[in-house]
Amino acid sequence: MLVLSRQRDESIMIGDSIVVTIVDIRGDKVRLGINAPTEIPVHRQEVYEAIQRENLRASRLEPGDTQDIGKFSGRSNNGQAHPPEGPRR
Amino acid sequence: MRITTNRFGRIDVDPADILHFPSGLPGLEGCRDWALLADSDNDALGWLQSTTRGDVALAVVSPRRFVPDYQVRIPRSELTPLALADMRQAQVVVVVGKTDTGLTLNLKAPIVINLEARTGRQVVATGELSMQYELTPQRPPLKKSA
Repeated sequence: MLVLSRQRDESIMIGDSIVVTIVDIRGDKVRLGINAPTEIPVHRQEVYEAIQRENLRASRLEPGDTQDIGKFSGRSNNGQAHPPEGPRR
Repeated sequence: MRITTNRFGRIDVDPADILHFPSGLPGLEGCRDWALLADSDNDALGWLQSTTRGDVALAVVSPRRFVPDYQVRIPRSELTPLALADMRQAQVVVVVGKTDTGLTLNLKAPIVINLEARTGRQVVATGELSMQYELTPQRPPLKKSA
């Protein structure tokens, strides 16, 4: 891993389009400012990994698992289209 | 186009209906194109079916229907890539999961779809929200006594 020392208000560049700035340092907490093109998602690592785990777990769901989901639903959607029209299976 | 799926057999999808997720989904980064299918048994439920991987599909629901007080706040930077001209173009759905005890909703990371542009993205909502919100049966509202 590349390790660089930086002070407050200093930045590093990743490629030519991503800038990470040290905004504030307080005790063991560092605040970072990140400028990146909109197509590059920026996440806290532990949050991203939790979403990955959730999506992978959810992708194993089968139609049989959701048969009874209707009983958890509180109200109709007042004619609002949901889910958006798509081919019915 | 015709796609072969593990759960729903062969289905025909109009290419104009395909939803493009430029970043894929976390954990399923390779799956960028999806079809949103209505569940034939339950009108509250949809399935996001990958058009490139027949084995990958996610059950999704409109969260407000299950969690009436769900207020989703999404940082602007998360929505910018979707180029929404108007929030009314946006459809918000959440992914259904399953634990040992029952079905769950990922309220922390909803999927936002731009219905006009047919693009989508899973975002991280602001605030204390569960990734495994447990669904419990909704009681019908009590009738007021006469």
